[in-house]
Amino acid sequence: MTTYILRRLAQAIPQLFIISIILFTLMQGFGDPVATLGARTPPKAEDKERLRRMLGLDQPAYVQYLTWLVGNDWQKIDMDGDGIPETNGRRKGILRGDWSNSLVTRRPVLEMIGDRLPNTLILMGAAEIVIIIFSLALGLYSALRPYSLFDNLVTGLSFIGYSMPVFWLALMLMYIFAVNFRAWGLPYLPTVGMFDPEAGKTPAELIRHMILPVATLSIISIAGYSRFVRSSMLEVLSQDYVRTARAKGVRTVYVVLRHALPNAALPFITLIGLDIPFLLAGAIVTERIFAWPGMGRLFLDHTSRADFPVLMGILMLVSIAVVIFQIITDVVYSLVDPRIRLE
Amino acid sequence: MADPVSTTLPTDAVAQPVSSAPLSPLRLAVRRFRKHRMAMFGLGLLILLLLYISLGVLLSRGYCAPLKQEVSGEAWANCNDTGLKLQPPSAGHIFGTDVIGRDILARTIYGGQISVLIGISAAFVEVLLGAFIGALAAYYGGWVDNILMRFTEAMLTIPSLFLLIIGSHFFGNRLPAFNFLGRELAGGVVVIILIIGATSWMYLARIVRANVLSLRERDYVSAARALGASDSRIIFLHLLPNTIAPLIVSATLGVANAILSEAYVSFLGLGVQGATATWGNMLDGAYQYLETAPWLWFFPGTLILLTVLGINFVGDGLRDALDPYSTKHL
Amino acid sequence: MKRNLYLLLSLGVLASMILSACGGAAPATEPPDISGDATEPAVTEPAAPAFSGTATITFTQEPDNLNYLYTEMWFSQITRDFWNKGLWSYDEDNKPVPEIAAEIPSVENGGLSEDGKTITIKLRDDVAWSDGEPVTAEDFAFSFEMVMSDANVVLTRYPFDEYVESVTAEDATTLIVQLKEPFAPWLTTIFDDWVLPKHILQPVFEAEGTIDNAEWNKAPTVGVGPFVFSEWESGSHIIFKANPNWIRPPKLEQVFIRIVPDDAAQEAAIIAGDTDIGVFLSSDQIEKLEAGGDVDVVAVSSGYSEGWFPNVNPDTAHPAMLDVRVRKALALATDRFTIVKDLLVQEVNPVNVTFWDGAEPYNNPALEPYPYDPEEAKRLLDEAGWVDSNGDGTRDKDGVELVLRYITNDRELRKNVQAVVQQQWSLVGIGAELQNYSSDVFWNGYNDGGPQSQGLYDIAQYSSVGFFPDPEISYNWLCDAISSADNPDGGNWQGVCIEELDALLKEQAETLDINKRIDLYHQISQILYDEVLYIGIWLDPDLWSINDHLQNVKLSGAAPFWNAHEWEVAK
Repeated sequence: MTTYILRRLAQAIPQLFIISIILFTLMQGFGDPVATLGARTPPKAEDKERLRRMLGLDQPAYVQYLTWLVGNDWQKIDMDGDGIPETNGRRKGILRGDWSNSLVTRRPVLEMIGDRLPNTLILMGAAEIVIIIFSLALGLYSALRPYSLFDNLVTGLSFIGYSMPVFWLALMLMYIFAVNFRAWGLPYLPTVGMFDPEAGKTPAELIRHMILPVATLSIISIAGYSRFVRSSMLEVLSQDYVRTARAKGVRTVYVVLRHALPNAALPFITLIGLDIPFLLAGAIVTERIFAWPGMGRLFLDHTSRADFPVLMGILMLVSIAVVIFQIITDVVYSLVDPRIRLE
Repeated sequence: MADPVSTTLPTDAVAQPVSSAPLSPLRLAVRRFRKHRMAMFGLGLLILLLLYISLGVLLSRGYCAPLKQEVSGEAWANCNDTGLKLQPPSAGHIFGTDVIGRDILARTIYGGQISVLIGISAAFVEVLLGAFIGALAAYYGGWVDNILMRFTEAMLTIPSLFLLIIGSHFFGNRLPAFNFLGRELAGGVVVIILIIGATSWMYLARIVRANVLSLRERDYVSAARALGASDSRIIFLHLLPNTIAPLIVSATLGVANAILSEAYVSFLGLGVQGATATWGNMLDGAYQYLETAPWLWFFPGTLILLTVLGINFVGDGLRDALDPYSTKHL
Repeated sequence: MKRNLYLLLSLGVLASMILSACGGAAPATEPPDISGDATEPAVTEPAAPAFSGTATITFTQEPDNLNYLYTEMWFSQITRDFWNKGLWSYDEDNKPVPEIAAEIPSVENGGLSEDGKTITIKLRDDVAWSDGEPVTAEDFAFSFEMVMSDANVVLTRYPFDEYVESVTAEDATTLIVQLKEPFAPWLTTIFDDWVLPKHILQPVFEAEGTIDNAEWNKAPTVGVGPFVFSEWESGSHIIFKANPNWIRPPKLEQVFIRIVPDDAAQEAAIIAGDTDIGVFLSSDQIEKLEAGGDVDVVAVSSGYSEGWFPNVNPDTAHPAMLDVRVRKALALATDRFTIVKDLLVQEVNPVNVTFWDGAEPYNNPALEPYPYDPEEAKRLLDEAGWVDSNGDGTRDKDGVELVLRYITNDRELRKNVQAVVQQQWSLVGIGAELQNYSSDVFWNGYNDGGPQSQGLYDIAQYSSVGFFPDPEISYNWLCDAISSADNPDGGNWQGVCIEELDALLKEQAETLDINKRIDLYHQISQILYDEVLYIGIWLDPDLWSINDHLQNVKLSGAAPFWNAHEWEVAK
């Protein structure tokens, strides 16, 4: 097992390198980060030139990539603009744990991500729990009564849910439960943000503000997942051993819970396991609409300012998490299913 | 989960024992499809939507006050009258007007054409790239396969919406406007097609690769090779046609995904710019009017929903119909 | 193998981050203290003033950084009137009011030398940092040293690099700024709204060799102003608490800045009364915001006006753009009055004439906006030889169609204006090719393919200002600032080069006499007006909302929160 994990980790390394190169290449097509630093007034020519030099943005792309990767603290760099490198570089590179500093805030990228990650995890974690519970319940119920009215209804609704653009759903929910409920004098939900400043960041406030974004994320995903649960359940239920058990008069509920569910749950675990890392990325659109200060917003805000260290940081973090969770999923899978042995 | 831009619906893998008379595979598929109630409903929905964006053009006419003349066609969709901004739906403007007094009905018609064009073209690019890369990897194997698949995996690791955003920033505004079927289109249309296509081919490449791998060693391929057929001939004439079923299904669902992707990217303000309307960019900024002018986002949003829904239904039906092992719904 | 190790280390970091995030997630952070029962043990003075109430302000953008050296962001700059005062601030009429300085230097009081090259500033002797250390001229000398240090990646050195010879502390309360040449905008650019605490940052600089990564930059717990930094939670809020040590102690207990990166959300918060002050409101929302009766929307000019910058560079512009009659026709063919009436609010955003309409007294009241006169526009175009010879509806000349590239960034309002203008131009036979760029691309430098700097346009629209309240923005129109492959960082993207204008711009930059300078600006505006090198679209004041829960708020364009110490909560 340990060898397997180590080998998988070793395989992941070239993959992460490829990802970082692809992303870094794409980011060369972004605008000039220095150009938007002045916010409302573009910086002056001398300042732009000096900043590009000091931030190393005047270097060729491959040098910038290597600096990002392994740092430049063994080199001298030219800070005073006389063309002669004289100052020691300070960057250590991501391989030594230095995720660089943001070009616009000058803060360490890891710290900025750390500020936003909890917010995203709260939102996405809650959504994931709701999704798992509902999709299991709906999927199971549908599978037990395939082609019944309920099943057809769920199937139809899940198609609608799956086809629904996130923003459309989010806007509809907001329009109904925040805007109209308020107008009708009913108890209403807040539109945006994580908490009201007057009430402070209390758990109750947090929950109130989470309801709509969590509902948005859940409805979209429950659709696909419940169908997945349904079909893997149906597959298991049609297998001989289950049929035999049923034929022998074992109670359906017992058959389902004891025999079918554990088997049907396996692919579901895989699906969830592979999904979890994407939670880190947050939900860009959902966070945008509900003004949720998470990773998705961080990414979006820094995209428009071409702040590539932050973008690289977020994307590499997600990539690393994806790779790790792929391995974890495989390991868990082998633990749950004795038929699978990891080589 | 996140934002489900390119998750594919899991296959409904129920096998129900039913018998049927021997028929040609195509007729069998058509028959299966026609018995698929949801697919037929989806098809009906799509036909209605296509009629809306094509014949709807005939309804697109009105008096454009600032131009002091009666205009029709796209001119009406672009006619702005700031004095009539944000009018709620009325007899004159059935879907209301937008922030500069353009007719939303006409814009959903012309915007729909672009959205559907983007959807179909992007799916085409996706299929082209996916089939090409998948077939190449499988046919040559070895280091070609290794490199291509590592690349595919790497692309799959990055959440698709992030890729789309980065892509649209990378290519943004680099192409001039062009003329297509008599309509002047912003260069952004091509850019968005390429970006969506270039960020969604990965699953398809894997499917094609797996299929070709299993076909590669079949007798007829060996025979073709023995007869001296070139690699490209074997790939394009013998291997790819036999993977056509998954290609068709992926392409269909790809259209839905591409329409959604365009909407997401536009919603975030990175989509097609300029006067060319799309369902997606009609939504850009519309959420600011959540409360005051819900018709701004309701109509284009609902049209996107209906189109994607119809395509997904049809795709599901196609998958069942084209799968020779599937006897479902018969 | 080593790489492997590093990767594992990075993974470890990731894992610990996830764990800590999960652990810290549920209880979140403590709620900000609003109730006012927080104990202030630091207050030792016998007659400690009682602070009460919270002012809640919404920001639609989060400051990048709080240290002056690392950001020019407006939302960061305006917070400094709470916690990082400079020598002086500006009142609601944009007149300077002394803060750390004892008085505003002038020729009369001996602060400004006759040749305009030496500024002697007397500091108050009773100003202290919030930790009790006195603020002295040494702090200013240190600040200058930090701006100019090659070890600090500061955002801008202007004007210290070009105009300042030295900054020295003659004694604790006497600061001498020696200029290389007379520099007219000194009042608004030299330490007017910032100073660094030497006793905090000097040790950091000595230890790390730079203050780029100083803790103080994001948590400046030692400041000088009516409030002092208390807490900043990224993406959520910034809190400043009352500073009893400031020379003008505040009345409020705290200022709570809430980051609301969404216009609609900000509007909702204003209407609900959740926020006392909001800014960057769109003028079509005024009525809605004021409907409740508690909220006042005020327009405060910080000098910005939205305008068109025609490209007249013969190397890059459409040939028609080089003809002043065509440029004039563009202005006459555009009904900017209707645009302003329908898409904005006429009283708030009237059509402006000159670049300086929002920066009184440098505007030129003698000039009138170009009228909307499509007939005259047609006549001018005909006269210039641009006629529709091939009957396609668009004018042409020598086989070149009169289709102009009209570019701006991707802001919604600007896109809408583009569409309206395109239709208006079509009535006189001018075609428009509309382009929008994201801001980072729009402002890109020449070498990065910036559409403006490379001249890939005929009309560029954006909102701009000088060093408000100072009018200086010469680099926009100086001949030697024209951007090109040889001068990629040049700020003159329009390719304007007029000898007379050049001379006037250079003269005003060194003219210290305000009346003379105003006169020079009138001449400059006249040339830009006659040559149609700037076409005003609308005056772009900042729209603020003030809830009557908060009183005595006197916003100023140059330093909005200058009188924060007087703010108080209604009883």
